[in-house]
Amino acid sequence: MARRATEEKILSRTKSIAHFYHQKGRMPSFAEIGELIGLRSKNAVHKLVSKLQQNNVLSKDEKGRLIPGSIALPVRVLGTVEAGFPSPAEEELADTLSLDDLLIQNPSATFMLKVSGDSMSGAGILPGDMVIIDKGQEPKSGDIVIAEVDGEWTMKYLKKRGENIILIPANPLYKPIRPKKELKIAGVVTAVVRKYR
Amino acid sequence: MNDQPLTIRFWTQAILHLDADAFFASCEQAVHPELKGRPVITGKERGIVAAASYEAKARGVQRGTRLSDVKKICPDAVILPSDYETYSLFSVRMFEILRRFSPDVEEYSIDEAFVDLTGLRRSFHGSYETIAQKMQETVEKELGITVSVGVSLSKVLAKIGSKHTKPHGLTMIPGRDIHLYLGKLPAEKIWGIGPNTAAFLRKFGIITALDFAKRDEEFIKKHLSKPYHEIWHELNGRSVYPVSAESKSSYQSISKTKTFTPPSHDETFIFGQLSKNLESACIKARRHNLAATRLFVFLRTQDFRDTGIGLKLSRPSAYPVDLFESLRNGFQQVYRPRHLYRQTGIVLAGLMPEADIHYTLFDDQTKIEKMSRVYSVIDELSGRYGKYTVFHATSLPTKQQARHEGERGDIPKRTTELLKGENKRQRLGLPMLHIKV
Repeated sequence: MARRATEEKILSRTKSIAHFYHQKGRMPSFAEIGELIGLRSKNAVHKLVSKLQQNNVLSKDEKGRLIPGSIALPVRVLGTVEAGFPSPAEEELADTLSLDDLLIQNPSATFMLKVSGDSMSGAGILPGDMVIIDKGQEPKSGDIVIAEVDGEWTMKYLKKRGENIILIPANPLYKPIRPKKELKIAGVVTAVVRKYR
Repeated sequence: MNDQPLTIRFWTQAILHLDADAFFASCEQAVHPELKGRPVITGKERGIVAAASYEAKARGVQRGTRLSDVKKICPDAVILPSDYETYSLFSVRMFEILRRFSPDVEEYSIDEAFVDLTGLRRSFHGSYETIAQKMQETVEKELGITVSVGVSLSKVLAKIGSKHTKPHGLTMIPGRDIHLYLGKLPAEKIWGIGPNTAAFLRKFGIITALDFAKRDEEFIKKHLSKPYHEIWHELNGRSVYPVSAESKSSYQSISKTKTFTPPSHDETFIFGQLSKNLESACIKARRHNLAATRLFVFLRTQDFRDTGIGLKLSRPSAYPVDLFESLRNGFQQVYRPRHLYRQTGIVLAGLMPEADIHYTLFDDQTKIEKMSRVYSVIDELSGRYGKYTVFHATSLPTKQQARHEGERGDIPKRTTELLKGENKRQRLGLPMLHIKV
C-alpha cells in the first residue's frame, strides 16, 4: 500500500510539472514547482528534482535551470517513473493491512454466519455466502442487520422512518417487515465473504 | 485482635472477580440465539451434564447428572455435544475485553478472571462500581453471554461477591460492608476452605466466614497452616494474593482426560485412549518448554469407579515415545479385562523447565537428541497442518471411534459443517452464529 502511495505521489507531481511545461512552453522554476505541488520548502523541491533527474524525467543545464527530459512525452514518462524507483520491499510492506484487518474492525465482537436464504440477493448476499457480523457496533439506518422480529430471525436492511423501524429485504419476492411487538438486533453485517474454490 | 476488624473505610485495593454464568451453555445460547430462554445442556458426547443453562438448573438439572436422568426430569432440554473450540474462542475474547479496562488481568480458568482495578477511577472518571458495570456490559454485549461480577478489597472477598448474586450479578463489597457478607456465609463456602477444614473449624465454634475472620491471629497461627492464615488476611480486607497478569505459562501439572461413548472393554482401544491423552499432554508440555518427572494414569468404569496409579519417571521428559513404557506399565496394573470403561486420563506432574534437565551418565544422549529432533518436526507439522497430523500408532484406535461418534450426532456442528477452505483440523478463528436467515 505504502509503495503504491509513494509512487502515485511522484506520478502526480510529475504530471503537474509536465502540464506546466506543455501549457507555458517552458520548465517551471524551483519556486514555481513548490507552488504547483504545494511544497513550501525549497529543499523538498530540490529532493524531488534530483529524484526526477535520476530517472531522466528532466535534467539541469550548466546554470542549474531545468530542461525537460522524458517529460516532453508524458505517456513514456509515466512508464519510466513507475519502473524507476527501486524501493526495499520490506519497508514498503511494513504498513499493509491483512484481509482480517480489512474485514474485521472489532475482533472480540465479530462473528460469522452462513447465509441460507435469498432475501438479500439484491444486496449481493446469496445463499451459501458467509457474512461477518459485528455485535459491538450501534446499528444505523441503512445498515444490514441480523435481527429477531416477533420471535423470527432475519437478515434485512434496517430503516428508521421517524419513530418507526422497518426491516427491508433486497428481493422483490419478500415483503418489508414492521415489528409488531419485539425487535432484537443481534449484530450489524459489516462484510460478505464468498469463496469460489 | 479487636472487635471491629472488618471496617475499612477506603478502597486500599480494588480487585474484581468475573465469573461467566453457566459458561458452556451460555456460549451455545449465544451462537444459537433461538435457544435463549430454553434449558440447554452440553456434554452429549460424555453421557453426563458438563454444563447446564440457568433454565435447566431451575428444573433441577445439575452438573454431572446422567443424560438418561435429564430426560426424565427435564424432557424438553436441548442436549448438545461440547464444542470446546467455540468455548475457547469466547474465553479468549472475554479476557481481551477485560484487558481493555486494565492490564492486570489474571486468567484464572476458562470462564473466570481476576482484574486489579486499583487506581483506575481516575482514568475512567468514575467509581469502581461504574467501571465494573461497564466491563460487565461490554462482555455481555459483545459476546452475548451473561457474567457475574464481584468487587472488593481482596481476591477471596471479590470471589465471595461474584458468587453472591448469580446470574448477571454485580456485587460490591466495600470495606465497611465486609462483615455483612461474611456473617451470612458458611465457612466452607470460602474459596480455599474445604469440607474437612470447615468441620475442623466447627469444633472451635467457627460456623460462618465472619467467625473465622474475627478470630485473632494467634489462634489462626496456632491451629492452621499458612494458606489459611493468608485466607484469614484476605477476609479481613488485606490483600495477600496478587493478581498475576502473566498468561498461564507455569503449570504445576498438565492433565488430559477423555470420555468415550459407547464404553469399551477392549484393551487396545482403551490403551489407545490413554496414548492419545499422553500425546496431547506432551504437546502442551512442550509448548511451555516443560518436562514431567511423574506420570499418573487412571481409568474410570461405566459405573463411575476410578482406579489409578502414580509412576515416577526415570528421567524428566515430554516425549511420548519416552513415556510409553511407563504408561504401559501403569495401564497393566490398573486395567481389569472384564470391566467396561468410559473414561481414561493421564496427568503429567512434577513439571520442570526443560532447560533445567540434567542427564545422567546412563542416559543415552544421542537417542534423546534424536527424539527431540523428531518431536520438533512433529510440532512444526502440527503448527502448519493442524494438531495430530502425525501421531503415534498406539493412538490409532481413537480415530475409529470418532467415526462412530459422528453417526450418533455427538460431534459439534462446528466440526461437521465446514466452510469452504476449512478442514477437519483447522477452522476459522471466529465463532459461527447458527441462525437461519
